[in-house]
Amino acid sequence: MRVGLFVTCLVDAMRPRIGFATIKLLESAGCEVVFPEQQTCCGQPGFNSGDKDSAKSLALKFIAEFEMFDYVVVPSGSCAGMIKVHYPELFQDNPSLFARFTALSQRTFELTDFLVRIVKIEKVPGSFQGSITYHDSCSGLRQLDVYKQPRQLLATMTDVTVNEMIESTTCCGFGGTFSVKYGELSTRMADNKCQHITDTHADAIVGGDLGCLLNIEGRLRRTGDLKTRVLHVAEILSGSAQEE
Amino acid sequence: MQNNSVNFKRQVTVKLADVRLQNALSRLQSRFVGGRAAVISEISDFEETRVAAAAIRDRALNDLEHWLLQFEQQATARGAVIHWAETGEDVNRIVVEIAALHGVRTAAKSKSMVSEECGLNDALEKAGVQVTETDLGEYILQLGHEAPSHIVAPVVHKNKEEIADLFAEHHQKPRKTGIAELCLEARETLRPIFLNADMGISGGNFVIAETGSVLIVTNEGNGRLVTTLPRVHVAITGIEKVVPTLEDVTTLLRLLPRSATGQSITNYISLLTGTKGSTDHDGPAHFHIILLDNGRSSILDSDMQKMLRCIRCGACMNHCPVYQNIGGHAYGWVYPGPMGSILTPLLGGLESSPDLPNASTLCGACGAVCPVKIPLPDLLRKLREKQMERGMKTQRETFMLKAWAWMALHPKIYALITKIGVRLMGLMGGKDKLLHSLPGASGWTDGRDFPAPSGRTFRDLYQQGKHS
Amino acid sequence: MNAREKILGKIRNAQLRSKANEGASAESTTSITQHLAQHPRGPQPPVIGDLLKQFKERCLKLSSDVIETNDRAEVPNLLRNYLNEKKLQTQGVCWPSLSTLPWSAAGLDIQSRPSNSHDAVGVTGAFCAIAETGTLMMLSGKETPPSTSLLPETHVAILDPRRIVATMEDAWDLMRTEHKQPPRAVNFISGPSRTADIEMTVTLGAHGPYRVLVILAPLG
Repeated sequence: MRVGLFVTCLVDAMRPRIGFATIKLLESAGCEVVFPEQQTCCGQPGFNSGDKDSAKSLALKFIAEFEMFDYVVVPSGSCAGMIKVHYPELFQDNPSLFARFTALSQRTFELTDFLVRIVKIEKVPGSFQGSITYHDSCSGLRQLDVYKQPRQLLATMTDVTVNEMIESTTCCGFGGTFSVKYGELSTRMADNKCQHITDTHADAIVGGDLGCLLNIEGRLRRTGDLKTRVLHVAEILSGSAQEE
Repeated sequence: MQNNSVNFKRQVTVKLADVRLQNALSRLQSRFVGGRAAVISEISDFEETRVAAAAIRDRALNDLEHWLLQFEQQATARGAVIHWAETGEDVNRIVVEIAALHGVRTAAKSKSMVSEECGLNDALEKAGVQVTETDLGEYILQLGHEAPSHIVAPVVHKNKEEIADLFAEHHQKPRKTGIAELCLEARETLRPIFLNADMGISGGNFVIAETGSVLIVTNEGNGRLVTTLPRVHVAITGIEKVVPTLEDVTTLLRLLPRSATGQSITNYISLLTGTKGSTDHDGPAHFHIILLDNGRSSILDSDMQKMLRCIRCGACMNHCPVYQNIGGHAYGWVYPGPMGSILTPLLGGLESSPDLPNASTLCGACGAVCPVKIPLPDLLRKLREKQMERGMKTQRETFMLKAWAWMALHPKIYALITKIGVRLMGLMGGKDKLLHSLPGASGWTDGRDFPAPSGRTFRDLYQQGKHS
Repeated sequence: MNAREKILGKIRNAQLRSKANEGASAESTTSITQHLAQHPRGPQPPVIGDLLKQFKERCLKLSSDVIETNDRAEVPNLLRNYLNEKKLQTQGVCWPSLSTLPWSAAGLDIQSRPSNSHDAVGVTGAFCAIAETGTLMMLSGKETPPSTSLLPETHVAILDPRRIVATMEDAWDLMRTEHKQPPRAVNFISGPSRTADIEMTVTLGAHGPYRVLVILAPLG
């Protein structure tokens, strides 16, 4: 399987090790992983702010870079959701582009969804000693039905204990530009999420979307919690979290 | 009711700091969210029922004229008088005229959100008609001169101490402390109002075209009382509330109470058709039904039409993490939460509510629970698109978005700028690897640190040969 | 142009636009007539087990009380015992069709007249009942005034178990079969009146009755 890796702008800028962890996971599952170097951003920030035109331009750029792969894998529910759900919608008035984007969306997957449903991986290369709690990012959960997949993968790791938090599926308050535009509200939502995380006494909070994780980490640290680790699920599954 | 949604951001600050409100909101969440989850399982195929409900609403909306005419014909044949109102002021004028026509001096009112849109009570008071709200929540609000903060549980923002204070002040009776005592006092105070009112005013959850009926769902019994005892009944509802048949409304009724309050069925469902006839003992001699437009017809055949499917259950706001943290008053008008964030700009004009479509993370919790499958996050986004098209975004925001998009379309420049940017930010993070403030992003850093980037971009590392 | 014409005009224009844009998405007048004539049902949950059992279970869930008897003449005694147990007044009113039951022999002061809001007990029949939700269906009329089930503090409904249907859809069909058109008021009653407006705490007995007693007895 030839997989095109879309790392996402946040992973590229903030946490490259998530991208490398993703490559490790995909290669251990037998995929040939290609990183198209011209990739940038899926266009979601602009799209959610009401800028359809920019979103369309970035969608056209994306399809030119990724259409040739057997699969496209994304370590982010929100970016994968943008590509799978919204890209085709953007071109509803153009039958040929709509067909191409629909076909591409059927080959595009969020990382854990890909590993469970397509590759059907049974063992992950990494190990991790400790307790974790899982935050279900909104787009992955509600647009792509990602809920069981990360838990299924984590369950294969014998030294990982999963302590479910209350309201794991409630929004953490990130929401892209919302986190800055409605900062007070966003902070309160992050605070609620951090409270639920702290109540689990888990060593680490884990999720599939870096935006959420940065938001959560930012609030944890500001409130004095320097201990709880904040990790992307790829880092746990690949073992790179244990290496640190 | 006046639209104050332009004050949203200021209100957010106030509401986040309101401890009593925060406690009240967590009570709402545990009852309504938990309650709904428990009873939804009673429907053997929730998704199938939602699809059917959405189709029922669409059937009516796609042929609204014919269904409204059918309703008008049937209702008129049974003795009701149908009135058409373009605006809220027209509704007020019509009700005042009806009151004058029938010599009405006192009115007992059961809940009607549409009447809140119009500001009906004030207009009636000005015309010398004494109006008493009889829904317990609305009655409490009337005493306190406040607007509802939720479309189903209007006084959710108040605790019993505040309510006990209000009753003690207005009823001139010793202050009660228990919830049951307060309810009893309200019952005793309002009973004579029901018995003596000249006119009953109600809303209409639905109007049924097949039979020309108004259907109301209630729990307290006040809805039945105001539509049975007084000699005049006025029902007010929106033009979009027409439902074709009794079977259609039954499907909607499976979802409405479950989605709203976690009840399998509301205590009372009343199908009201026509006036008291020779074969009746009870009932109004005069039945007036007012159908309000107030901007709804402009939503038809637009990319926002699906919003008219709304059956006013409140599930969206119950599940909305933004509503759960700020309550309903912050939204500034009659309808709060996700449905209000869409209806207020649609009915009141986009300029009147710059924040509402944007004060959402588009998490999708609302859309997942909407019984008639309104794609609420998509509609919020569409409103943002309209704001962009009409140049309603700030210059700064427009510039930032365009700049980012331009960069993303030019990979080499993007690679260079991000490489430099993350190096800088990595350094700014210092030993802590945290940025405690970020220029231009105080919305984030006022309440949170910003974790520092690692200092190198993935692209850069990958190109240098790192693969895992 | 009056308001009615203006509003309907706006709606008509919107509908014409959407018909032009999307082709056949709006219904024609014939299928409106068809839909009215056929009034198809939506998805219904299966009603499990026997209707009587489900009806009783749902009634109890709604905080209604349920008593059963095979002997209709026993109804007044059963009611007296119920009222005594709960230390309630034994005075009230009933629908005319129930006036022949031996009320005074059972020690109850039940008059055959509409309620005037000072009555403690209101005794009614019911048009039918719905098993799915434990609901009584009442059709208004001269002999079946709705105020009897609304004004008194205790509502007693005497229901023949053979009039229990599975769903509300079945109830509508029964109404259509036995009556030409809906009466002025059809009231579905599911338990005692209640409110949760104060601190989301459910309190029984808001403006309507505090309690509902369903006595299942054959019509005879």
